[in-house]
Amino acid sequence: MSKVSWYGALVITLGLALPTGALAQRRGSRKPPPPPPVAEVSPIDVQALSGPDLELAAKAAETLGQIASEPAHEALLDALALGLPPAVAVPTIEALAMQPAPGDVAMLRRYARHRTPSVRSAALGALASYPSPEAQQAISDGLRDLVGSVRTAAASAAARGRVRTAVDELMILLARGEDSSARALGAMADHELAKQLTEQLGKAPDAQLARALGTLLLRDDFGPDTAKVEIVRTLAKIQDPVAVTELTDYINATPKRPVRASRQEAAGVVEARTGGAR
Amino acid sequence: MRRAALALVAVLAACGPKNVFRLSQDENNAYALKEVLARRKLPAAPAPINGWAKPRVFALAAGAPRSIVAYDLEASAVLWQVEADVQSRIWVGGDFIVDIEGGRLVARDQARGTLRWKVPLAGELVGVAADRERAYVVTQRGMTWQLSAHEGASGKQVWTADANGQLGAPVAQGGIVYVPYLRQWMSLVDARTGDMLTRIRGIDEQISALRATSQVVYYGSRQGVFRLDERSARGARADATYGHVPIPPQLDRTSYARDAYDPVQLGYSASDRARVLFSSEPTTTGPMKLTGNGYAIHYFRYVFGFDTAGAMQWAYSNPRADFVASEHTGSVLVGLSTSGEIVAIDPVTGAVRGKQSLGLTVPVLGGTFDADGWAPSATAGEQPPVATIPALVHIARDRDARFGGVKELAVATLAKMQGATVTGELLAVLADERAPQKLKDTVVALLVARKDPASLGVLAKELEVKPDYLARTEPEHLGAIAKAIAGLEGARLPPADVAPVVAALAFHLEAPSTQNPDVIRVIAALAAIGGPTERAALASHFLLYRVDDDRGDDPAWQQAIVTALATKGGAQERAMLRYAAADPRTRPGIVQLVRETLGD
Repeated sequence: MSKVSWYGALVITLGLALPTGALAQRRGSRKPPPPPPVAEVSPIDVQALSGPDLELAAKAAETLGQIASEPAHEALLDALALGLPPAVAVPTIEALAMQPAPGDVAMLRRYARHRTPSVRSAALGALASYPSPEAQQAISDGLRDLVGSVRTAAASAAARGRVRTAVDELMILLARGEDSSARALGAMADHELAKQLTEQLGKAPDAQLARALGTLLLRDDFGPDTAKVEIVRTLAKIQDPVAVTELTDYINATPKRPVRASRQEAAGVVEARTGGAR
Repeated sequence: MRRAALALVAVLAACGPKNVFRLSQDENNAYALKEVLARRKLPAAPAPINGWAKPRVFALAAGAPRSIVAYDLEASAVLWQVEADVQSRIWVGGDFIVDIEGGRLVARDQARGTLRWKVPLAGELVGVAADRERAYVVTQRGMTWQLSAHEGASGKQVWTADANGQLGAPVAQGGIVYVPYLRQWMSLVDARTGDMLTRIRGIDEQISALRATSQVVYYGSRQGVFRLDERSARGARADATYGHVPIPPQLDRTSYARDAYDPVQLGYSASDRARVLFSSEPTTTGPMKLTGNGYAIHYFRYVFGFDTAGAMQWAYSNPRADFVASEHTGSVLVGLSTSGEIVAIDPVTGAVRGKQSLGLTVPVLGGTFDADGWAPSATAGEQPPVATIPALVHIARDRDARFGGVKELAVATLAKMQGATVTGELLAVLADERAPQKLKDTVVALLVARKDPASLGVLAKELEVKPDYLARTEPEHLGAIAKAIAGLEGARLPPADVAPVVAALAFHLEAPSTQNPDVIRVIAALAAIGGPTERAALASHFLLYRVDDDRGDDPAWQQAIVTALATKGGAQERAMLRYAAADPRTRPGIVQLVRETLGD
């Protein structure tokens, strides 16, 4: 029996998708990617990707990832389906996500449960590029990982993919003092979530809550300024020095003109807390 | 002159010690034994020794000084309690009790507890017995042992009988004193005169343990016991009324009766807490016939009922306190606990037939029952048959660290019972953080061995526990559960029940936190019960890790996954294995194993 025969059966059984026409199904909610560079898929790269030389294989993965063509994408998926050593799996996953196609999700979910933490982290990071519920569920699951670095990767992915369904998990991690979840919550918070965060005062650890709110303050897409004023006022109530650091970062990142009440209040708080020593 | 000297020697010889026990004596004489047995004065029905024929227990309570508590089981009332520095067991006579206090044999009035007499011991104490009229004491001085009889009323010594070889602690019954001699003989001595009536020699069994009820005498050793009857004259197990019961190895401290040669057992000791409780029927042929075709073992806090084949029929676990004394009265098993509680148990069903209390606030050190034939009245609060599974579960999960062996017996017995409830209870033992590892290992082995299809649901439920940092959960004993599931290979399992188990196993197979030893068991479980449905998960797993220089190099993992795919898989899986074997990235051990397994 040829490889194709059993491989095809395996792919179907596993629910993995062969990348036929997959590139045409890119996510529509984001702005279109830049025109792909025109390049041919080199058989040498394809062979090297599945070869015994790990360095060459990793390099081949990077090269194939740059090529926005179906054969290149298929080569990457093929290699992942047949199994790769962790040192090659990580760049291959990253290469795959450079040209995301919906059919990738099942494969990435498989690697999101790989026993090697760096492979899981890479897969979770890659899944942030896929807006499907399955991908978001995998990211939420990643927040439950027993390894901290993987949770951190999942939190970053949740932030990058704006995975709203992961908020509950992130809030628990915030309460347990995980910085990555604080940053993620700050990065994805809307008004409702921002209110939820301010209500965590006295409940979540001060430093992590300050980081979440500080990250939120720095976002241009969060507003209006009255909303930021509320955030500044909450930060003012946090005694941990991190609050001052976050407010300072906000002041430094915000132009003086036009005058913003949030910046003024932040400056006042920092002045009061540092006695002008900033 | 010479004639006078000879006469003096003759007189001195007549007045000297009466050497009753000798190496060369008539023994195993069927006629003599029949005569002696016939002259015994035994009650028509089992009855207490005491003159009132009232069932009683005499307990020794801790304290400074200690105290004796006399308790009437029929009236459920304390008769009396007196302070006494008792340094031995208590032996019960007709209207008196005796014990050792201050190095002397002390008798007390059984009705009131008042001191009746004290006599010094003739040497180092070996044992004591009592019947309605007298107390009998065996002592040792140098290389001479002496049995002496004392009037129960006055303490007056009425006769002595000497031996140049070792005597053991006696028992008395029906006008005969039974005395073990040099571990090989049991001498039957006239209780009134001290004369040797006959003796029995154990041909293929030591005689080191004795027990007397009001009607029967048992003798033997830790290996088994004879019921004294006319066939005892034959001396050998095969020809006599001999019995021995299967004693689980976990209860190996158990004995049939007190060891007559163990000085420790002159007092109440741990040996009183591990005893075979039985009664027997008269028989003229074959081995000993146990009453109710069963027996019980009292082992500290626990009492187990067995059939004659040794299969456990019931179990009773006494809350908190050990039984320090126990007896088979012929009708019930009765135990006295360290907390002063008296529990009567039905020997057939294990049901509690009654409970009474001495009402003490100090621990009970030991006790002597004089309650042959006693059973609580029907109004004493009979309870339904003991619920054996909960009792065994209670034993298995007992916090008391002394009873590792008993716990193993409990789980082994549980494992023989069918049903999901039992599996759940066994798994609960595994989940118990304080359960000893050896017990958990036993539970795992038993889970595997029991092959109970009804357990699948319970095992599946355990698989629902997933590694989750947020929920703070991690699967416990995944390997054990998988092993138990693998044990169901070949069992008829409803496909609808199997599917979720396969899915759960597949989840754990791919869970990053599942370590190799557990992964290997999960693979075996999937291969055992999965049918074709597990192949995709196994194939994916194989491809993912065949090139991994950690898991992929584990020979046990290699063996498990390659065997599962090669033997349980189809043509596609074997083609995949061949592809992997030809791929230079596949770990060398796998390549070799695939080639060996597929014969390529």
